[in-house]
Formats: sequence, C-alpha cells, structure tokens
Amino acid sequence: MPQFSVSASSKSNCCPLWLIWVLLGLSAVHTHAKDVLGVPQQVSLSPDRFSRQLSISWLGGAATTFDLMILRTELNESVFYETLSVNPVSGQHLWNWTSAEPLECTSLSIKVRSRDGHMTSEWSNTQILRGNDLPSNDKCQVYPLDRVVPVGANTTFCCIVEEGKVFDDLFYSGAVMNTTRLSRRTYAGTVVNQGPSSSSGTNVVCYNSLRAKEPCGTVVFVGYPPLLSDFVCETHDLISAVCHWTEARDTMLYGKRRSSYSLNKRDCLQRGQKHKVCTVDHWEGNWTLVAVNFLGQYSLNDSAEILNRVHLVAPTKVSSVVNAWNATVLWQWKYRSYSSLRLVCQVELTCNGTKTNLTVSGVGLQSVVLSDLYPEEDYSVQVRCGAQLNFWKWGNWSEPFTFKTDTYVPEAPDVWIWMNRDNTGRIVWKPLTRRQSHGQITGYEFTLWSAEENVQHTQIFSPGTTAAPINLTQIAAFSSDKIIATIIAKNVKGSSQPASVVVPLRLTEPIALSRAVYTERGFPMTWQSDANATCGHVVEWIDAVCTRDCSVEWIKVAAGQTNVSVVSANFQPGVRYIFSLYSCSSEGRELLQRQQGYVQELVPSSSVLLSTSQQNSDVLLSWGEIPLLNRRGFLLGYNVYNSTGSELKLLVNLPDKGNRSYTVKGLSEGSHKFTVKAYTSAGEDTGATASITLELYADWLILEILTSLGITTLFLVIVSFICYKKRKWVKKAFYPDIPEPKLPGDWSRRQGPLDVKPSSHSIMHIVEKPEWDSSKEALVVIPEEDEDEEGQGMGDEPVDTDEPTSLSYYNQVVDERPIRPRFPDSSDSSASSLDSARTDVTYTGIQTSGSSLVFQLDSQASAEGHQPHADMSVNGGGGGDYRPQMQARAPSDDIALVSPEPFIEAASGGGYKPQSSWHLDSPVEGEESGGRAPSLGSPTSVASTQFLLPDGEEDTEERRQPSSSATTWFTNLLSSTKP
Amino acid sequence: MNGRVQRMSFQQFMELTTTLLPLLLVMAVDSTRTVAASSSNQQCGNSLQQTLKLTRLAQKESVLLIKTYAAQGEMSELFCKVSVNDVPDPNISGLEPSERIASIYTHLQAFMAHFKRVYEQQTDLQLPSSPLLGELTVVSARSRDLAALMNGFYQSLFPNLPMPEPAGGPTMLPPPQNVFQQKVYGCAVLRTYKEFLSNVARELRTLKGKVCRRRMETNTFLLRMT
Repeated sequence: MPQFSVSASSKSNCCPLWLIWVLLGLSAVHTHAKDVLGVPQQVSLSPDRFSRQLSISWLGGAATTFDLMILRTELNESVFYETLSVNPVSGQHLWNWTSAEPLECTSLSIKVRSRDGHMTSEWSNTQILRGNDLPSNDKCQVYPLDRVVPVGANTTFCCIVEEGKVFDDLFYSGAVMNTTRLSRRTYAGTVVNQGPSSSSGTNVVCYNSLRAKEPCGTVVFVGYPPLLSDFVCETHDLISAVCHWTEARDTMLYGKRRSSYSLNKRDCLQRGQKHKVCTVDHWEGNWTLVAVNFLGQYSLNDSAEILNRVHLVAPTKVSSVVNAWNATVLWQWKYRSYSSLRLVCQVELTCNGTKTNLTVSGVGLQSVVLSDLYPEEDYSVQVRCGAQLNFWKWGNWSEPFTFKTDTYVPEAPDVWIWMNRDNTGRIVWKPLTRRQSHGQITGYEFTLWSAEENVQHTQIFSPGTTAAPINLTQIAAFSSDKIIATIIAKNVKGSSQPASVVVPLRLTEPIALSRAVYTERGFPMTWQSDANATCGHVVEWIDAVCTRDCSVEWIKVAAGQTNVSVVSANFQPGVRYIFSLYSCSSEGRELLQRQQGYVQELVPSSSVLLSTSQQNSDVLLSWGEIPLLNRRGFLLGYNVYNSTGSELKLLVNLPDKGNRSYTVKGLSEGSHKFTVKAYTSAGEDTGATASITLELYADWLILEILTSLGITTLFLVIVSFICYKKRKWVKKAFYPDIPEPKLPGDWSRRQGPLDVKPSSHSIMHIVEKPEWDSSKEALVVIPEEDEDEEGQGMGDEPVDTDEPTSLSYYNQVVDERPIRPRFPDSSDSSASSLDSARTDVTYTGIQTSGSSLVFQLDSQASAEGHQPHADMSVNGGGGGDYRPQMQARAPSDDIALVSPEPFIEAASGGGYKPQSSWHLDSPVEGEESGGRAPSLGSPTSVASTQFLLPDGEEDTEERRQPSSSATTWFTNLLSSTKP
Repeated sequence: MNGRVQRMSFQQFMELTTTLLPLLLVMAVDSTRTVAASSSNQQCGNSLQQTLKLTRLAQKESVLLIKTYAAQGEMSELFCKVSVNDVPDPNISGLEPSERIASIYTHLQAFMAHFKRVYEQQTDLQLPSSPLLGELTVVSARSRDLAALMNGFYQSLFPNLPMPEPAGGPTMLPPPQNVFQQKVYGCAVLRTYKEFLSNVARELRTLKGKVCRRRMETNTFLLRMT
C-alpha cells in the first residue's frame, strides 16, 4: 500500500498538496496496472495425438506476454515452462506445443499467467489433458500406435503398465530401451536414428515383471518417402498413352502404407514392385506423376508429341514361304494404324546357334525376303519394328518362328589320293558337311576312267564311306597313261558335280625334309608361283609315324596363291607331321616340298635303352635310339649324368649327331650309376639309368705281381752273384774256420752217445712196429694204452701226459760218408758244417702231449752203415728217453739178415748234455760208447728252434731260451765265426 | 398199409415244414439285415478314417504355418503366448456324439471366419510373395474341406437330426485392432486352431469306437424289433 503524510505549514502549503497529488497519481497508476494483468481465462486444450501437438488457447485480455507451464500431473514434474509472447486473435491467445512423448502416455496439467515485465498475474485454472494411464484404464498399453516414421527419425515410446503390475522392460526390435518414468504406471524410452523396418513393421513390446505373461506393444513402420525416376509416356496404338516409371528407392512401406500414384490427377493402379505402368486413354502431351505415402510425396513431369513416342507392339501371326536357298517371312500387325506408318524392321535369323540380323524398311511392313540360306537347314526368325520417322525405340520381338529350307543336290566332294610305296593307294574324300550335302547323302559313286580310251570302272559306296582303295597293278589294265578317279555324291535331289583326281601311275621320289615351324596361324608354307599348276596346289599332311594307308589330310589352294597356313583341328602336340606340297595340273600332281614339324614339342615319352660295359677303368655307355613315336619333338641331344645318391651330376651334354655312346673315364672301383636323358626343346625325358660295378683290373694286377717278382728275382740274382764273387769274404765273415778244440787226452773217441733225457713231463716212445709198412712214410701216433699193453721196456716211471712237454728229439744226421773218427780238423769241421747245410731235416719241433710218436728215419741213415735198419723201438725208460724212429728201407725180414744193432735204451733219468763238440754222432759210435743210443749229428744239421738241455742247471736256461733263443743263436753264430 | 404210411409221412412232412418255414424266413431276413448293418458300419468307419486323415494333414499344415508366422518378426515367439479373448475355444463341447460332432463343425466354421480376418490383416503386413499368405490360404481351405467332411459324416450318422446352429449366434470377430494386436490375434488364432485340431483328432478316434459300433447295434436292434 502506498503511504503518504500531510503537513500544516502555510508557507509550504502548496508542497504537501503537490505530494498528495503525486501519490494519488501513483496510486491510480498502480491500480490501473493491476487491472491490465488479469488472470488468463478460459484456458482450453486441443490435443492432436497423432502429431503429439497440444493447442492451448486462453483469453488473456490485453496482455501479450504469458507464462505457460505444463506439468506431468501425477508426479507434478515440469515438462514445459516458458514465457511466451502471444498476440491475440479475436481476443484469444493460442499456443501450440509439441510433446516429446505421445500425449496418451500420461496426464498433463497446463496453466497460464499473464506477465508484464516482472509483474505477473495469478495462474489460470489448471487444465488437465488426461492421459491413458488413468486407473480407470487399467490395461497395458504402448504408444504411439502404428506410427509411420522416416528412416533416421527419433521416436519416444511409452508403456503404461497394467494396473497392479510392475514395469520390467521396453523392447524395440528385440533390444531393451532406456526408459524414464513419467507417471505411476508410465515409462518412456526414445529410439534414435531408426533403421528401416520389415514389411510387417518393427515391434515395440513392453513387459511387466511377469515377463512370460501377456506383454503389450505397438508396431512402428520406418521407411522412406517416395522417390521416382525414368518417367516416360509412349503410345502403342497411336491413340492412347502408356506411362512408365521406376521406383528409384524402395520405401519399405507396404500394404496400406505403400505409395499411391496419380497421373494428371487420376489415380493409377500399379503393377509390379519396381517398374510401374499407368495407362491413359488419350494422348495428352503433358503428364504429371505424383507419388504419395505417409512420409511425403514426389512428382515427375513428361511431355512429348505422339509420333515421337511410338513403341510398336510385336508382330503377330508370323509365317513363311520356303525354298532351298531363300525364304519369305510374313507377319501381321495388331493395330491397323501401323499400315500407314513408315516402319523399319529388324529380322534376327538364327541357324545352329549363329544369329544374323537383317534390317528392312517400308510403309506398314509385313514381310521380308531372306536370301543366302542353305538347303535342308533349320532356321529360327524373330522380327521387331519401329517407326522409321522420329524413331523412338524398337518394338517388342515377335515370338520365334522356325522353318526349314528345302533339299538340294549336294556339292562335289573334296577328293585326294594317297599312294603307298607298293603301288597301292586310296582315293580319299572329305565327308560332306550338312551345309555341303544339302540333304541326306544316299551314297557315293566312284569311277576310274581313261579319257583316251573312254574306259571306265564304277563303284557305289555307302554314305559313310570316305575312301576307295586302288591298286596300280590292276589299273595297269588301262593302257592309257592317264587315269582319272572321280567321286560323285548323291542325295534325294540328285548327284553332285564330279570331283576328280589324276592317279599317279609312277611313284613320286621323296625329296628332302625340311623343318616346319608352327605359328599361331598354323604351319606356314610358301612356294614359287607356277604357271603349270593350273588347278592350284595341294598341301597334304600325315602323321610321320604312319607308313601305309595313312590317314591323310589335305588342303587345296587356288591357283595363283603362293602361300597357305596349314591348320587342322586334328593337330596334336607331340606328334610329328609331314607336310607335302603338290602342284596340281591336268596331267596330275607334282611333289614340290616336304616339311616336317610339331605343333608343340613335348619331352620324349620314353627313355633310351641304356647299356654299360667296362673297359679297363673306363665305362662305355651306349644307348639305342628313341622310337619316332615317343620322341614327341626334335631330339636335340643327350645329357649323361652320374647318379650319386639322389643327385644327378651332369657329366656331359652330347648334341644329337648320331653319336649314342659315351665313355666315362677314370672311374674308381665300386658301383657307379649313370643316367642318360634325351632332350627336346621341351626338356628332358625321365632318363634311363644303368648301374655298373667296376672290378679290379686283373691283367694289370698280374702284371704288377710279375714285375715285383722279376725285380725280386733280379735282386736275388745280383745278391747271389755278389755273394759268389765275394764268397771268400762271406766265408770269412760268416763261416770262419773253427779252431780245433784242444783237449787233454783222446776225447775224440770217447765221444759217446748223447744222452737225451726228455723232460719228465714228456715221454716219447719209439715203438718198433713189426707190421710197419716201410712204403709209408708217416708219423704214427701210438696211444698210451698201446704202450701199456706192449709193456716193452716200460719202466715203472710214471708217464705224465697231461703237462705240455718240451720238445724232445734227436736230430738224425744224414751223412753218406762212411763214419770215420773225428779229428780236430778244422777243414773237416768246416766241411761238416758245409755238409750240414745240405742235410735234410727229418723232423723238427714235434711236440706231443701224452702221445708216443713213431719217427721215420730217413733212408740216408742206412747209408751210414746201419743198414739194414730194422724198425727199432726204443722203449722209453722211466726217463722217457726216445729216439727218432728210423725208417727202414728193407722189410722186416731183412732184419734177420743183418744183425741188428739194437738201440740202447736210454738210461732212466739220463739227460743229454750240450754237445760238447761238433763231431758227428753215429749209432756206431753210440754202440762203441757203451750201448748208448746213437746220438744226433752236428748242430749245424739241426734246424731246430731250440737247443736241447739236460735237467738240472740247464732248466733255468731252458726257461729263458724262448725269449732269447734267436739272440743266443745269433750270438753263438757270431761267436762261432770268430777265429 | 402202404397208403396209410404214405399219408402219415406226408402229414409229418407238412407239419415240419409249417414249423420250420417261419424260422427259416426269420433267419434269412436277419442275416440280410446283419449284412446291411455290417456294411453300414464299415462305411461309417471309412468316413471317419478319411476325416481323421484330413484332420492330421490339417494339423501338420497348421504347425508349419505357425512356424512361418513366428519367423516373420522379432519376438513373435513371446507375444504368440498372449491369450486372446475373441478366438474360439479349442475344446469340443457337448455330451452326445451328435453334439460333439456338431461342435467340431461349428468350430471349423468359426475358425474359417477368423482365418479370413487374419488373412486380411496379414495382407496389409506381408509382401505379395510372402509364404505366410499362401500357407494361410491352404490352411483356410483345409478347414473348409474338413468342415464339409464333418458335415457329411454328421449327416450320415444322424440323417434325421439337422445340424444345430452355433449356440452363440454368428461368429464373433474381434473389433478393429492396431497392428500389434493383429499380430497377437493372428498367432492366437493359429495356435488355438492347432490345439483344436489335436482335440478333433482325439475326438475322432474316440468316435470311431463309439459311434460306428453303436450304429451297428442300433441297426441290429431296430431290425430285431421289426
């Protein structure tokens, strides 16, 4: 409330009055202001639920600024609160508000107040827009319903849960949405950038906590507004219009939501999904096409004169009039208006898959003549036409129409002749193709005739025949020098022109073959122009392997042409072909060239046949030629490899110049493996491998041995010669004179027998064997049992046969000289020594173990006066003495004739001493010396390896002797040579 | 003597004939009618067997249709479980065979109306090339054939009983629905139809042993009464 005061002063009476007036004025203004900012009245709501738009109108007096507040009623949440400037229209203020959520989702409370600057009126009465979440509507609901939205749009969906249920999830196309709560039962979620949906739309499903039971939902269709292209109108009948267009983009909306079309504001019924057609009964010249769907519309325009848009329909009732080489095709038109129209027509003729196009023109065209056809051939024809003037487009093709041309006489066959080397041959001709036969061939007529004599011989062949054999010896019946072979083909329409070839009565001498090279165009062949070749040239080719009745192919070249490239579908890689060029004249053919070549060379299909042979330390490899069939290319040479393990080592490359052998030199002993591979320009074959084991060269070995022996012999001869020349020196050096021992008394005659006492462990019995066969010189083993049984002189001394015995023996001196007393004569001694060198050793080093041996005495012993020597057994006493068993030359009967001089038993336990002298011991001497067994001869006659020593002190030496016997002997030898 | 004996024999023969003739006549007639009853029973069985075969075929086709239906959209397997009020009850009503056969017939008629509605709704949601529409057409046609068979079977069993009209009057179709409701409704119709066909097959097997035998007994009884 404005406050004011009144003053009583006279001087200043006017001032309080002025102040009062001011205050009154202000109060009045304030009161007026309060009257202008009235509360908006008659607030009303007009919702558009489809567009989620809410129109709010009110009466607000003169105010133009208002505060508008929109709240969600249940939760009292503010959705919208803004100050608006709204101009009244007919006194009413109107404001449109678009909700983010569908208006059905929840109730909204709307109130308005006027505003003037900072002054505002009271709020209007709250107006409530009721949602569908009221308790009275207790069912589950999802909004918006069946909405159509463009692709990429954002849509907010809300779910009103069934009364008493708890919200769980809101799904969009199976995916859970993020939701916010709008009211007690309402939850909302927004989907952004929606993708196109399927024809049945995208499901939005709301679940309560009991998920499996009774979900509710809605469907949203997401698509595109229409987009069209290729809109054009044309006429078929020159009266009506047919307009076409294409749906450039699928709207993804179907059923009631699909696009609808109108042409010049007349509805069009479309056919098909993408290409649309609409027909108008009369040509209007200008057309407007409009396409509309829930999301928008699209329009296209077209305009044209009717004669510029003539699209003829397909010809109908096609027929034909057929001959052998041509045919006339006829058709009719659906519309009579075509009869005055100048047309251009395209005829497509198909024969054996090959299409030929023919274009004809004319007014109202209804037929076309097809020429250059082949007899007895199937053809298919289609026709389409267009307006020749202001050509717009070709009309539709007629249905295919087929016809067959008539039969005609066949063409003349292509004939040639092949001659073998034995005056036989074949007239060959190429089978006529379908195009050449002009109908079914019924047969061939073959004629040999002589023009000069007018003699002919005719044969008929079946249709499948392509060759007729000829024999020049039979043709010899024709006396003419010129025989012509003629072939005529026949069919139902008649005979062909005759095809002739002159039969060569003399064999053509082969000429040298040159190399033909295959190129992309075939085998090129060139030749000089020949005026005599009146009927051109012929190139024939055969497989080079063939020698008789070959499958010949040929090509005929017209006269005047000087080259040709030979191509054949029968050419095979790896096959050698021989090409022969003939000139053709009325007199026959003449061979001009011969070439051979491959279409493609391959590696040989087989290997060479490889053999090996040893030549000293070398190996000769030789192999055969690869058969022509298997070469599959021109052989360039051979590669010789040495196979070591899995590797091949190239030894040599041999160019193919006829040489098919190679010698591998300098090989060592052992096994060697060699591989030979032939090669062409395509490469090597698999190779032939042969192994050989080199053995030592025997001749050379023998030569080496002989050489060594010769050298050795020569050396010995030289040594012997030198020794002979220097024999005195040798004698002096190696055999000096032995001085006569100087002994007191006459020791020379007291030289008794050498008492040999064998080791106690070695007992040898010299057994006298009465039945001894003197003719057999053998050592007889006498078992101990025998000894026991005989008991001859066997002492009681035990015979130990277990221990190895030392060698005990006598040396039997062979001396043919009469026994004579030994005198200390150095010459005798020397001679004795020399004699001893010629003394045969009767036995040496015989060692037994518990066996008694029987020794054969050398026959020379008898020469010493002991003859006849009967078998004398020396019964070994206890000492085991033994003597060599003398071999008697005379039978035992002789014993009686000659008083035997028995061997004296060796005294038991008696040994023998080292020979105290080199005098010969003889049995005689033994006898003279008191029945002692004859002693051995001089040591020089002994080839013994050991000296015999008695028991006793000699034992120790005997034990040392094996290790030093050679040294001792050599020492003795040297010492004996000392003067 | 001989003449008397002959007279006596003739009289005995005539008496025997008079006694046996009615019995023979009754036996002959009874035999003929038994054969007729047996033939009629066989015909009943054949008709029932034919109906049962068609029911099984319709059952298989309905299973396939449900699979196709479920494959057309996401989460359809879930909202296919929703119960819908406006769909016919899959259970067969009535106590007497005639009532139960009539119930099957009226159910089939009702389902045909629902199939028509579902087809219309799906035409708006499917492409013309959709297999769902084709299968729907087949199932609907099979329902019509089955109804015709059931009608013929009913007429053959109960020639003097007219087929009763549906108790609830004409088939009640659901009010206009939104697309989601259409989808739920369509699936509910198909699912219920499949269940109904199972019940029909079971019912037909029961009827086979019940109706056809009873018919034979009824015929025999009627014949004996005559």
